[in-house]
Parts: sequence; C-alpha cells; structure tokens
Amino acid sequence: MKLEYKAQKIWRIGLAAILMFGAVMARAELLIRVTEGRVDAVPIAIVPFEGAQNAPEDVSQIVQADLHRSGQFKPLPAEDMLSRPRNESEVIYRDFRVLGVEYIITGSMKAQESGGYEVSYALFDVNRQVKLMSETYRPPVSQLRDVAHAISDRIYEQLTGIPGAFSTKILYVTHNRSDKNPFQLQYADADGHRVTTILRSQEPIMSPTWSPNGRKVAYVSFEDDGMPAIYTHDLATTNREKVSSFRGINGAPDWSPDGQKLALTLSRDGNPEIYMLDIASKQLTRLTQHYGIDTEPRWLPDGEHLVFTSSRSGGPQIYKLNINDKSVRRVSFEGAYNARPDVTPDGRYLVYVHRRNGNFNVGVQDLQRGTFNIVTRTDMDESPSVAPNGSMVIYGTQDRGTGVLEAVSIDGRVKVTLPSKEGEVREPAWSPFL
Amino acid sequence: MRSFLNPLFALMLAAALAACSSTPTEDDSSATDDMSQQTDTSPVTPVEPSTPSKPDTSSIPLTADNFYNHPSNYDGTTDSRVIYFAFDSNTVPAAAFETLRAHATYLKNNSNAKVRLEGHADERGTREYNVALSERRSKAVEKFLRVQGVSSSQLEIVSYGEEKPAAFGHSEMDWAKNRRVEINYTAGRP
Repeated sequence: MKLEYKAQKIWRIGLAAILMFGAVMARAELLIRVTEGRVDAVPIAIVPFEGAQNAPEDVSQIVQADLHRSGQFKPLPAEDMLSRPRNESEVIYRDFRVLGVEYIITGSMKAQESGGYEVSYALFDVNRQVKLMSETYRPPVSQLRDVAHAISDRIYEQLTGIPGAFSTKILYVTHNRSDKNPFQLQYADADGHRVTTILRSQEPIMSPTWSPNGRKVAYVSFEDDGMPAIYTHDLATTNREKVSSFRGINGAPDWSPDGQKLALTLSRDGNPEIYMLDIASKQLTRLTQHYGIDTEPRWLPDGEHLVFTSSRSGGPQIYKLNINDKSVRRVSFEGAYNARPDVTPDGRYLVYVHRRNGNFNVGVQDLQRGTFNIVTRTDMDESPSVAPNGSMVIYGTQDRGTGVLEAVSIDGRVKVTLPSKEGEVREPAWSPFL
Repeated sequence: MRSFLNPLFALMLAAALAACSSTPTEDDSSATDDMSQQTDTSPVTPVEPSTPSKPDTSSIPLTADNFYNHPSNYDGTTDSRVIYFAFDSNTVPAAAFETLRAHATYLKNNSNAKVRLEGHADERGTREYNVALSERRSKAVEKFLRVQGVSSSQLEIVSYGEEKPAAFGHSEMDWAKNRRVEINYTAGRP
C-alpha cells in the first residue's frame, strides 16, 4: 500500500488527529504516548467491538492503541463515528468516506460457555468498498491480549506489506534506589502491559539481550560478590547458567543468529577485546587484537560479521569485523563519538549512539546508500534496539533526570514515549518475532 | 611528570607552603622551639593536636573542573578511599599521590590486606563503553600501587562504568564526583 499520496487528506481529519495527539493510550506500568506521528498517517476507524465493553479486555481498544502507536495509522475516535457497524451488512461506506477514513475494522467479542471468548473481526477498504479480510479466534481470557496483538499484526501487514511487531516483547532493566533490590530485569508486551520480573538484585544488571528464538535472554549481572558475569536465562523454566566469569570485564553479550554462540567483551587478556563463546562447548575464540577498547559487539544477520565499538582511532567509532579472517574495517565517520551499534533485521541499517554538540542521540546509517541521519532530539539517548520488523527503534533516554524509554521510527518521523511510573527504565531490548 | 606543571598543582603547592609557614603544627620543630621559649614568660595555650600538615585548601575554589585534583579530596592517609579523575581521563591526579602512597605503604606492611579497586565513569556515553573506560581508571590506580611495590595478589579490579554513581544528579559537579576509583579493603582493613 502506498502511504505517500495520503498527505492532502490530513486536514479533513486534522482536528481529530490533534485531539488524539499525546493521548494516553494504555494504562500499565509503562504508559505509552505517541508524541510525534506522521502527517500522512492513514485514517482508520476501529469500531468498538460488539460485546467488548463487558469483556475483561477490550480487544478493539488494544488494536486501536497498537495501530496508533505504530505512528502509521490515525484512528478515528469512536465518538466521531457517524455509524457503528457491527458486521459487514451494517457497513455504510459513505459515513466513513465523508470523514476521510480509508479503512474500517469491525468485530465482536462473545463469551463462551467454556469460559473463553470468540473474537471476530473484519477489515474493510472504504475507497474500494470491499472486505479485505476477516478472522475468528477462540482464546481463553488469559490470551485476549495476545489475540488483540495478533489481529493488529495481521491488519498492519495487510495494509503496509510489513509484518506487524505488536506481539513482541521488550526486555529492560529498571533501577529504583528505594527498593530493597534496586536493580531488576523485566520484560513486558511491546505496549508496556503484562510486566514480568525475571531477576531482582542489589547489584547492577546490564546489557540484556534476547536469544534468536526469544526463549532465553542473556545479560550481565554483578550479583556474585559485586563481580560481573554473563548469564543465560530460560524464560519459561527460569533456569540460569553462568556462561562467562573471567577476570576483568565480562560484558556486552549478543547472541549469534543461529543461537549457538555469544559474542561478548572480555578484558581477561589485559584490555577489552571481542570474543566469541560457543555456548555448548564453552570454546572461546578471541576476535580482536588491539590495545584500544573493543566492545559492544552485534551480529549482522549473515552470522559471519559483527559490528562493534572501538577506540582504535582515538574516540569510539563503529567497526565491522569478519569473524572468519578477523579483518576489521571502520564503518562510522560522522563525528567523534559513535558507539553501541544495533542492526536492522535486513542488515541494511546500523543504529547507534552519536554525540553531537555534547548531546547523545540515536543515529541511523544506511549501509547501502551511505547516508547518516540523526533520528532523536533529546539528550542522553542510549541503547537503541531495533524491532524485529525493522520499523521502529526503542532506546533509553532521560526525562527530567529519570531514565525512560522512547521509540522512534527508523525514518525518524514517528516518536513514542514510554515513561515509567517509578524509578528508572533503561537498556531496552526488542524481542525477535515470538 | 607533566602533572607538576599543571597551574592548579602549582597553586595547591603554594597554598600548602603558605599553610605550613603560618600555622605551625605539633611535629614542626620550629614550633616546638617557639613554645619552649614561651614557657617562662607567660601561661601556655596548648596547641590543639591536628592532622599533620594538612594544608588549608579553602582558598582554592572547588569546581567541577578541578574536583579530581582538589587537595580537599585527599588527606594523604589511608582514610581517603576515593580517587577522582578528570573528564575523559585515566591519569591519576597529582593531589592523590600522597594518599595512594599511604595505601601502598599500608599494603606492603600488611600482606594480609587486600583491596578491590572499583572503577566508575560518569553517565555520559554508552554503558559498556563506560565500563571499559572505568577499567582503565582502576588499572591506572593498580599500576600506581604496583610501582610502589604492592603485590598484585593484594589487588583486584572491578569496573562498574556508570552503573553505581556516587552522585545521582546530572550536573557537571555530579559527573566529577562519579568519575572515580574507590579503594575498598576486602581484607585487613586499616
């Protein structure tokens, strides 16, 4: 679907858009606000689902919040709808066309005797006056939110051609000084709901990252007598394994695309170098040889290369390493401070922290075209992590002195804030597709 | 020793010398002579015992820029347990030399004593890169102590980067307080 030709329609629904602008979209530990949307966001009407107001979770509201949060859709507030069709036979396209709406979603939630729900929805194209898709799910109550995100994923893919990433999770570290265990490792749905704490500690937790299948995470924890070690942690069984606790730094783990190896930083041979650890055999391979700092490795999707931060030219810059011949070449050239790279799933874009005029922002480098773009405007932006569909980057920043999470589209046009209620939230890691 | 040419250090040295001449202390021999001469003329006001030759540093303004090398941070004994660093630097500050020599002497005289050198960075920059930077600071302190003859078996290093700040604000002064190496005795504490 083309998004470019929609711009002239924006002013017709402009007022509605301004009212939605900045609206609090979800109530949870992480509150998510869309602070900047695209001016060409596609107007869409998610008609409140029949029966949703009596259900424990309102699937139509969750879908609406998801699509709004993507920044690519502009949901029509329910009170502005001229009619509220419950199904295909009740859809009056004209009622939506006059409001500039391009797509309609209708649906219903019916309680089942089994205790679960039957959730049905349909998607309609206003201009062509046709039904594009419809589906029915029968989840238990505990999976209503999963079904809502699955519906958002399906609709997003149908309309943009890109798989939705609404069913994914965000892993992050919280820090709350007044807590008995100030450092916690948590994950939540991509909309901030359903927070699960996986580790509480009195000592720092750092650099959390997902395994490629999303079943495990790896992180650095200083829990053992204040000394750093890298752990792998199975989310379902909560089994943990300490995989690296050498003398000196044990840091910056990143799982290889095949899930067999971790890239990591160790200073056991004197100063920080990049190593590769075979998780099953525990075999360790040193990949860099330089007296400067080498750290923050990230695998490229091919499993043959890493990008990492190195001070070998003075200040930190991004380098690319071939793990077979260990050759290294510099990739970042803009400015004096570029660090902590992440890579889009297609390997085309590098996303990293860039310092400009003393401010730390997230920059996006297009490896094909060679362009570089700064996509955030705050300060102290750090730890960028790319969504598995490559659409958004989540990162840590500061809001009035407290660590918060924000997300920005890879083109910088959409911005979403996820402030936390208490303490700091930092080091977000976006899960793979689950 | 480039540090000795540092104008700040010259200022401190001048302040220290001025302090010595104007406020004699107990172990200053000239002061003892003065007192003995005074005994038969007038009642003696006993001199308050004070820390030996601690210079009056109140005339040197404490700023975020000179914090790392400000004499008020270092008393020249093992009581001083924090060494501060300039921005983006892992050079041990000259003002900390006496304090580090005191630790070295103590460690050499007490072979059961062990210290953990905890390196820290301010919050600017990425977290793992800051871990690496803070390791350079603890290694600089380790090297200083090793040169003084301390056994490596008494020294241990850990690098926390920006994860354990001493000051939680976001000003230049908070950052100055966070760029540091803490000397923590894990055995044989003085």
